[in-house]
Amino acid sequence: MLAQTIIITGTVTSSVAGEGPIPGVTVQVKGTTVGAITDLNGKFSLSAPQSATTVVFSYIGMKTQEIDIKGRKVIDVIMEPNLLNLNEVVVTALGISREKKSLGYATQEVKGDVLSTVKSDNFVNSLSGKVSGVVITRNTNFGGSTNIQVRGATSLTGNNQALFVVDGVPISNRNTNTVGQSQDGTGYDYGNAASDINPDDIESVNVLKGAAATALYGSRAATGVVMITTKKGAQKQKGIGVTINSNYTVGTVDKSTFPKYQNKYGAGYGSYYDGPGGYWYMRDLKGDGIPEQWVVTSEDASYGAKFDPNLLVYQWDAVDPQSPNYLKPTPWVAAKNGPITFFNKAQTYTNSVSIENSLDNGNYRLSYTNFKNTGIEPNSELKKNNLLMNGTWKVNDRLTVSGSANYVQTDGKGRNGTGYNDNIMGSWRQWFETNVDIKELKDAYFSTKRNITWNWADPTDEVPIFWDNPYWLQYENYETDTRSRFIGYMTVNYKLFDWLNIFGRASTDFYYSLEEERKAVGTVPGRWGLGTGPDGSTGQPDGVPSGYLRRDYFSSENNYDIMLNVNKDLTSSLNLKGILGTNVNRQIFNRTIASTNGGLGIPELYSLQNSVSAIPYPNEYASKIGINGIYASASLGYKNYLFLDGTIRRDHSSTLPVSNAVYYYPSVSGSVIFSELLKQQWLSFGKVRLNYAQVGSSAGFDQLQDEYSVLTPLNSPMSAVATTKKNPDLKPEKTGSLEGGLEMYFLNRRAGFDLALYDTKTTDQILPLSVSTASGYVYKNINAGEIENKGIELVFTFVPVQTSDFSWTMNINWSKNVNKVISLYPGVDNLQLGSFQGGISINARVGQPYGILEGIDYTYLNGQPVVDPANGRYIKTSTSNNNLGKVAPDWKGGILNTFTYKNWKLSCLVDMSQGGHIWSLDMYYGLATGLYPETAGNNDLGNPVRDPIVWVDPSDHSKGYASNSGGFINPGVNPDGSVNKTRISAANYGSFGYLRVPDKAFSYDASYVKLREVSLSYSLPSSMLQKIFIKGVDLSIVGSNLWIISKHLPYADPESGLGSGNLMGFSTGSLPTTKDVGFNIKLTF
Amino acid sequence: MKKILIVLSVFALTISCGKLEDLNKNIKDPAVVPGETLFTGAQRRVFNQMVSSNVNLNNFRLFVQYWTETTYTDESNYDLTTRTTPDALWDLFYINALKNFNESAKVIDATPLPAGGDPVAKKNKLAIIEVMEVYCYDVLVETFGNIPYSEALDITKPLPKYDDGLTVFKDLLVRLDAAIANMDSGSGSFGTADNMYEGDVALWIKFANSLKLRMGLLLADKDDATAKATVESSAPNVFSSNDDNAKLVYLGAVPNTNPIYIDLVASARHDFVPANTLIDTMNSLNDPRRPFYFTQVDTSTQAGVVKLAYVGGINGASNDFLAYSHVANLIQTPTFPGTLFDYAEVEFLLAEAVERGYTVGGTAAQHYNNAITASIEDWGGTALMAANYLTNPKVAYTTAAGTWKQKIGIQSWLGYYNRGFEAWTQFRKLDYPLLVAPPDALSPFPMRYTYPIEEQTLNGDNWKAASTAIGGDAVDTKLFWDKY
Repeated sequence: MLAQTIIITGTVTSSVAGEGPIPGVTVQVKGTTVGAITDLNGKFSLSAPQSATTVVFSYIGMKTQEIDIKGRKVIDVIMEPNLLNLNEVVVTALGISREKKSLGYATQEVKGDVLSTVKSDNFVNSLSGKVSGVVITRNTNFGGSTNIQVRGATSLTGNNQALFVVDGVPISNRNTNTVGQSQDGTGYDYGNAASDINPDDIESVNVLKGAAATALYGSRAATGVVMITTKKGAQKQKGIGVTINSNYTVGTVDKSTFPKYQNKYGAGYGSYYDGPGGYWYMRDLKGDGIPEQWVVTSEDASYGAKFDPNLLVYQWDAVDPQSPNYLKPTPWVAAKNGPITFFNKAQTYTNSVSIENSLDNGNYRLSYTNFKNTGIEPNSELKKNNLLMNGTWKVNDRLTVSGSANYVQTDGKGRNGTGYNDNIMGSWRQWFETNVDIKELKDAYFSTKRNITWNWADPTDEVPIFWDNPYWLQYENYETDTRSRFIGYMTVNYKLFDWLNIFGRASTDFYYSLEEERKAVGTVPGRWGLGTGPDGSTGQPDGVPSGYLRRDYFSSENNYDIMLNVNKDLTSSLNLKGILGTNVNRQIFNRTIASTNGGLGIPELYSLQNSVSAIPYPNEYASKIGINGIYASASLGYKNYLFLDGTIRRDHSSTLPVSNAVYYYPSVSGSVIFSELLKQQWLSFGKVRLNYAQVGSSAGFDQLQDEYSVLTPLNSPMSAVATTKKNPDLKPEKTGSLEGGLEMYFLNRRAGFDLALYDTKTTDQILPLSVSTASGYVYKNINAGEIENKGIELVFTFVPVQTSDFSWTMNINWSKNVNKVISLYPGVDNLQLGSFQGGISINARVGQPYGILEGIDYTYLNGQPVVDPANGRYIKTSTSNNNLGKVAPDWKGGILNTFTYKNWKLSCLVDMSQGGHIWSLDMYYGLATGLYPETAGNNDLGNPVRDPIVWVDPSDHSKGYASNSGGFINPGVNPDGSVNKTRISAANYGSFGYLRVPDKAFSYDASYVKLREVSLSYSLPSSMLQKIFIKGVDLSIVGSNLWIISKHLPYADPESGLGSGNLMGFSTGSLPTTKDVGFNIKLTF
Repeated sequence: MKKILIVLSVFALTISCGKLEDLNKNIKDPAVVPGETLFTGAQRRVFNQMVSSNVNLNNFRLFVQYWTETTYTDESNYDLTTRTTPDALWDLFYINALKNFNESAKVIDATPLPAGGDPVAKKNKLAIIEVMEVYCYDVLVETFGNIPYSEALDITKPLPKYDDGLTVFKDLLVRLDAAIANMDSGSGSFGTADNMYEGDVALWIKFANSLKLRMGLLLADKDDATAKATVESSAPNVFSSNDDNAKLVYLGAVPNTNPIYIDLVASARHDFVPANTLIDTMNSLNDPRRPFYFTQVDTSTQAGVVKLAYVGGINGASNDFLAYSHVANLIQTPTFPGTLFDYAEVEFLLAEAVERGYTVGGTAAQHYNNAITASIEDWGGTALMAANYLTNPKVAYTTAAGTWKQKIGIQSWLGYYNRGFEAWTQFRKLDYPLLVAPPDALSPFPMRYTYPIEEQTLNGDNWKAASTAIGGDAVDTKLFWDKY
């Protein structure tokens, strides 16, 4: 018998005006495999079993609908858009929700789950490649800071980082790294404060890119705003919901970001010591009157004797009585366990639980997250505890109150040292002996708990000369830091009339933070402790044997807003939204730095009162600033397709002279949804937008009046004139920005793009102008300069495949920013932003993009580098102001592919950056000291390049080089234009690196392509869960930074830098990148 | 609506009560300081720069081959750019020294005398500051040649032009004369705020005249008439014994120790050994100052036999630290005084003045003998040691080899030990001893510092003009006073 069937037919159309019928919609009888697909006219025909009760209509980009058959034979369905929602509401400046379609400026939203699936210690990292026009430069530092720049650098010396706003509350993203640290001095990267935001609490992130979008925030948002909306209890259906999320991630070193070493030669700089061949020390440590053959332990280079397993020599461990090799010679071979064995697997545990409840008259959500991360370096750990509660109470029809309280406790320990000095990575990338075995160093430290180093001053003088035992550094000289932070707000919203309400908000963000740095007794003495510079990092005393330093910070920002909101339909087709408000902002930042002097009296006691000499004057800084603002905005909407917005804000800033303290900034923007006018079937949505805005920007704290510095006295008090000349006549900075955009979706939203073009000019910049020091100052505060950013941003969405079970979605972000310094100050064509080891500087030079690396170049003849025929060396420029490349990339892009199959979801993000330069101090020194394979290969004659140069006839060089000659030939021409044929000797250190090669050679293309994220998720079907009281189980495996597909910087990550801020583009002693793989489980009840 | 606006304004007022501008106050650093504290700070910084042996700050000991480096031999081979040493010296003198002396004078001048205050002491202070400013500019001219001067220390001219070195130099002499005339030893001056002379004006007058003597002689080859007048007017009032030496006594605790202690001892680095150029010369003369200058090293190759000797590292080459003599322990102590100028130097200058035919009293040989004796005694030797040394025919003025330039050149080089800058200028003036650039040197022997990189990048136009004016911004460009 044939089963009874019924034929159901119908047409599926889109609710979007002009889209009409939708082809390709899946129509399925619920609970069966019986289904059909709509044809080009949106029509379908379905043979359903008699028992069928419900038909499911599904289509990508549309809300799935379940329709009860109720005996009907014809079912016509109108589908509502879902993905790329036309009525999508986004959060704009001041936390005001707006329909995205009505905005006359570019914003881009990222949903919280996209950020929290692949975990990082700083959620900002997870934005990389996902938002166009935003350049995120993470570095490899443990718990390090991440640079986030929207639409290029607009300020020459000020802050270029985006402002972070959580639920309408501006929060601090301060980076407390010292000036010294940012210019490769000793220090740590303490991260930035936005990392306190818990990704599990984020509902969505909306990036406001241009000045028109941020104008209502006033001066502080000239650099773009990252608007974060936290999860609330109101999202879900009524009743209690509980979510538990657990994540475990393991990180392993990406070997392409760590040095490969040559394995042919060991310790030394060449042959000039007193032992055989000039490669060894002869020292009589046994006291038998016969000197032994010792490795030159005092040298931190690998330009010494050729390895020979049959040669027995006394090495660094032969002076350690606890070592099995005490006073014993060992074979002269390359180390079995190189520096890479130092690294552990990084482990991250994130566990969170949240409870949310939606009630008749309100909602609340509580969440707790525990985060623990151990770094790849031993004894390093980062812990975060995050408690958040928020809630809303509808007191009555008119009054709603809400509040939020977030407490974050962050504890760090053993962050990696950065920069040139006292940085283990610096040693391994620049100054090391390839014969040193890391495992043996580990044993030496753990068996003695002493600083048994490979780098003795001499076998007879057993103190470390330049480098400590790395385990000693990690376990004795570690830093610790802690930050206790509270972020909270209260709001009151009272509906006066249907069209008018009044809204008040008071918010606070404050933290106390402590950074403690240690230098144990027995460590290599060096530049350390409290200096006399404004942040204590410049003029640090040298030769400090041990010590303790602490920095105490207090930061607070309070904001008080009152707003009147108008929303009124003036006519049936004309709507007015208006805001009139006032903002009072107060910020405090206090810092005290103190350190011991001359060392620690009692070893292992880290306190100021344990100072050998009287402690130097602590460095105290106390700043208080404020802004009183009044703002208004009006938005007119005509028939839902024509929109016009205007805003104006008046700020009164505390940091400008009274006569210039008040300033205004207006913005105007408009948009037309032309698809409403055209009503074409192929065009799902089309909008053009245009805006212009002017943003003012105030000065920093204390830029107006001169002060002196007080110095530690010598017999009688000492003081000094400050090195910056302040300016009592400063004016506000101005940024003018013009932006246009086009947003279009086609073919029932299967494809679409959002294009933005902008031109931003910042003038009257407040900047410390570098002046000739012959003026008696280093800087002079001025208003000057103009910097321009022009750019293009493209967001492209495409759904190549869409069936009932399977879909493939592609999101592409691409952006290009062209930056140019137009002027600085009359007569001044360069502003030095920072200077670095190696004579490298980073500059803002008129006519060039912001951030130009400068240093010594080759000299050229007809485009060829010139070589001195006398010695085969390149002839360098005598000047150090040659352009070695710009730092900023040409363009950035990200391709996100998402595949879903039933309950499975696979997504894959490729992140790329094209152009820009990074200068490597690692290669500058590491090639000179002979660490890398490039320094130990064979030359064009097939001989070891380090062999000496041999002539056929030493008395007659015209007969040329002997076939067994070492050395190599630098490609280039001689000053007379002939091709260089002179061999340069590589027998002693330096021929490859800094001594003989101009800085230009170490400026690398910073482009990269990275497989940034891959995640595979599976949600258990609800049918499986119905029996138990679990509502959902989501499992995922995620990977991040799995593969650097392409890069040009050798042995390091082109994203590795010293920290966040304006000084990017310099790489020295960075930690290797980790490939992270994690497992995530999410349970909802 | 009206009510709301009232509420709004009341709210804004309550929160922002008090003047907004009052927030922007620096409550931690002084807006006013006594001028004397600026003087003390600047003076110490001048000493530190001149005394330091830090490779980032002061490499003149390496230039004149007193010391040489062990492993990192860049500076011994005249690398001025990697560590931007010209920038360091320039910044130190213009910012830390000159700007602060200048400000100190302004503040002292503007501060009304307290009741019972001594107006002469105030005048003395201003004159002493003027002497220090002349000293600083003199070092800059001797190092670079043309320098910013008439437009220097004026922030309204952030990119000052450079002035002709000779013109600057002559103006400095005028200022020095005026300062000398303004000092009155009948009154005090800075007291303990002066770490060099504790405010003793009589000593400051001697210092100023000694400086004038040295500056006068520097002009001898260029402008004999000015040199002669300057030298002869200063000679009667110069240092007359080691008691007059311009020294600063450092303290035992950081940050006020002798900077050499930091560089050589506290740093635990082994960067320097005395150079063979110096030690070989002193060995050949059997110089009694060797134990004060260097340690000895065991040169025996026989087991159980110790053979101590003074051995210098090979100048400019890589050297094994333990194989050579080291800098004497005395020099490495934290409290070892720094010397800005001493009596021995004055006597060498007087000897030279006699040889140049200037009327300063005494014979060249007498001044030469006084200089050597003063040097030996100041280092801790005895009069007897000095007398014996002077009987050495290679030392005795009448019998030592060569011209007066050679004799004075070699002995002043030995006597100026540890004071690299003064030795460098003396060498450039007298062209003795014969200092040969090491084989691996990056350039010929430096006759000046190249201008700072920061001047190239910031003050480009003025830098170019100055470079052209002096004959090129190269290390081997001879300066205006350096005719031979």
